[in-house]
Amino acid sequence: MVEDLNWAIGGEAGDGIDSTGKIFAQALSRAGRHVFTSKDFASRIRGGYTAYKIRTSVDEVQSVVDRLDILVALTQRTIDENLDELHEGSAIIYDGERSWDADIPEDIMGVDVPLKSLAEDAGGSIMRNVVALGAACELTGFDVEYLDESLEKRFGGKGSQIVENNKEAARLGQEYVRENYDLGDLGYDLETTDNDYVLLNGDEAIGMGAIAAGCRFYAGYPITPATDVMTYLTGRIEEFGGHVVQAEDELAAINMALGAARGGARSMTATSGPGIDLMAETFGLVATSETPLVIVDVMRSGPSTGMPTKQEQGDLNMTLYGGHGEIPRFVVAPTTISECFWKTVEAFNYAEKYQTPVYVVADLSLAVTEQTFEPETFDMDEVEVDRGKLVDEDDVDEWLDAQGRFRAHAVTEDGVSPRAIPGTTDAAHMSTGLEHDELGRRTEDQDDRVQQVDKRNRKVETAKEEETWEYRDFGDPDADTLVISWGSNEGALVEALDYLEDDGVDVRVISVPYIFPRPDLSEEIETADDVIVVEANATGQFADVIEHDALTRVKRINKYTGVRFKADELAEEITTKLTEEVPAQ
Amino acid sequence: MSSDVRFTDFKSDKQPTWCPGCGDFGTMNGMMKALAETGNDPDNTFVVAGIGCSGKIGTYMHSYALHGVHGRALPLATGVKMARPDIEVMAAGGDGDGYSIGAGHFVHAVRRNVDMSYVVMDNRIYGLTKGQASPTSRSDFETATTPEGPKQPPVNPLALALASGATFIAQSFASDALRHQEIVQEAIEHDGFGFVNVFSPCVTFNDVDTYDYFRDSLVDLKEEDHDPNDYEAAKQVVLDGEKEYQGVMYKNENSVPYHEQHGVTEDMSDLPDGAPEGAMDLVREFY
Repeated sequence: MVEDLNWAIGGEAGDGIDSTGKIFAQALSRAGRHVFTSKDFASRIRGGYTAYKIRTSVDEVQSVVDRLDILVALTQRTIDENLDELHEGSAIIYDGERSWDADIPEDIMGVDVPLKSLAEDAGGSIMRNVVALGAACELTGFDVEYLDESLEKRFGGKGSQIVENNKEAARLGQEYVRENYDLGDLGYDLETTDNDYVLLNGDEAIGMGAIAAGCRFYAGYPITPATDVMTYLTGRIEEFGGHVVQAEDELAAINMALGAARGGARSMTATSGPGIDLMAETFGLVATSETPLVIVDVMRSGPSTGMPTKQEQGDLNMTLYGGHGEIPRFVVAPTTISECFWKTVEAFNYAEKYQTPVYVVADLSLAVTEQTFEPETFDMDEVEVDRGKLVDEDDVDEWLDAQGRFRAHAVTEDGVSPRAIPGTTDAAHMSTGLEHDELGRRTEDQDDRVQQVDKRNRKVETAKEEETWEYRDFGDPDADTLVISWGSNEGALVEALDYLEDDGVDVRVISVPYIFPRPDLSEEIETADDVIVVEANATGQFADVIEHDALTRVKRINKYTGVRFKADELAEEITTKLTEEVPAQ
Repeated sequence: MSSDVRFTDFKSDKQPTWCPGCGDFGTMNGMMKALAETGNDPDNTFVVAGIGCSGKIGTYMHSYALHGVHGRALPLATGVKMARPDIEVMAAGGDGDGYSIGAGHFVHAVRRNVDMSYVVMDNRIYGLTKGQASPTSRSDFETATTPEGPKQPPVNPLALALASGATFIAQSFASDALRHQEIVQEAIEHDGFGFVNVFSPCVTFNDVDTYDYFRDSLVDLKEEDHDPNDYEAAKQVVLDGEKEYQGVMYKNENSVPYHEQHGVTEDMSDLPDGAPEGAMDLVREFY
């Protein structure tokens, strides 16, 4: 009996691929199965190849693999694109009545289902994908009733007739396969459990984290793959007294977010690389005016407009060094979808405690991928809100100068000044991107300049000491081989450990969620024979940083095809790397 | 908010570095008086300034203030007001700031109709960078960067505002202190985006659009038979290329400000120590 399943539906954009995939993923999740999804999509609204892939197991799954068991193909291209991943025993569900002659490879089972006609029998051809889902249920021995729940969730708002029609469509698909095919060889039996999982993607987790952390204001401009953050917040943040603005551009977005933060709200904007470029000027103002602000960068393939719908981790240098002058900032980078939630919460606390801009850097693979979690993963009781040195009427006096003026940029030992929000009596003050004195007023005085620069930079030193900049550790802690990674590669790496273990290769994986400040890995690197840094970019931006910190050379695995790392692929690459020489010093 | 606020309470102890005779002195005085007169005080007022000579205003006034980057005063002010509907927000900047680099934001701030006021000190030249053409410079205005004039029509900020759906459009003259104050006051009191273009002469670099020029040519709409509630009449005035007007050109009495349209009325600055009540529902949604 096979319990793990790799399933996909593919066709043209506009064919409802995404929603069909999501309905199936939700059904599996409702059945207490773990789910990990991935999407292949093109930058166009209609047409072009698009696919939604689901990997499901009763055990936790956190990456994609090079295997496809059941494929719902709405076009020939879907079959062609996935040939490499299909294997003996795979099945393809297709509609033989449609105009294309499906070219099914010899050792693969073709399951010809009249999707369109059956959908019409159920009430409309639009439901042909749901017919396919019903067929998939029959192929995998998965109880079609779980699909019903998903269909209710998806179409409930459109009325009970629509829901009933869809349920009927699924059943017609199921019955057709049952009556026309002998499934003896497939032998799937998808086990269900009593677990109640939640299924969400990284963008949604970031948005949820923001609301949990008390974010009340969001301004953004639509851009792939960050838009889902704005979509998530819209209509939800209002329930908590917040508001979302779709700004006229990224410049306006970050400035509105900054304005709201000056007003005292926890405030956020999210964008992708091109938007980060546009925001760079104001980023400096955020830092110099010492305003708490969370800026989310969901990376995609660059530079310029690059490949908007493809994976890359190419903005590390931009977030770490971007902006003119020298700008203190924090850069946190979630490594999993659940970390997208928790790191966003942390980001708001760092922003307010240290009055700095904080980048939350995620990548496309985290953003658009859905994964199942136990709801307790997002335990709201664990969320802490630390607003830092926010002064009110009672303690404002200690920050006034001899003339009774509020020292909003007071030079302090820990580098953090008091913060007063509008409405606080006697604390009216100005802030500016110009170099300024303690009162926030423009200055070119050499002492003021040095004091303010040192003060702002000191915040980072304070944070390095006060906060815990941990990393996540996997595999064998005593292994001679150390693999270091950041961002979404973690899932694939953790699963790669199983493949490597089977081959007798012991590996320790360190996944780093903090780019700046970041954990000191010198000792870990020192004690390893081989150090490999894995990242989805061409030049190895994180590897550069690691080499700089540890004063040593490391091996690198870089992928910049636009496609995420896969577990089996990584295992192979790591094994190959072990035979290579370390690059010359 | 206290009733005994004087306009001097809005003054900082920093001496302006504006050139003697600069129109910005009068513009600022009128703004401070208008703020005091409308019952505001420095602790509940937020002034957002742009870049350039006019942008220095945040330093010379006393209130909560932010001096932004070039052209972005309006989105900044928008953010402040959205987070804090309880705070009086005023944005100030120059013609370069507002109609060149910030022109896009101007159009969108106008159509968003956020309840704030926007005062543009229009001297029809770039002063702080020492005398280049601005978007409101005349087409034959000779400067270092336009030796034969810009040879393009100036931006008409009033018409641009009207075309963008403005609910309050006015123009004043820095040297006509009482009228200027009165007009800014009306902009503050307007329920929505109160836009005032102020003729604020640059005595150092602009020898065409001078105090004398405005004094001689300005027509006060108060003395004309102009009804600011009349859209058609407003259209005529803002498109009149022959005359320079001061006064309120257009005022939409049915203006519904952004916060009412969108139900954004809460002070967003107050937070619990942990996740807000009901946050666990956000997780359950993903079942």
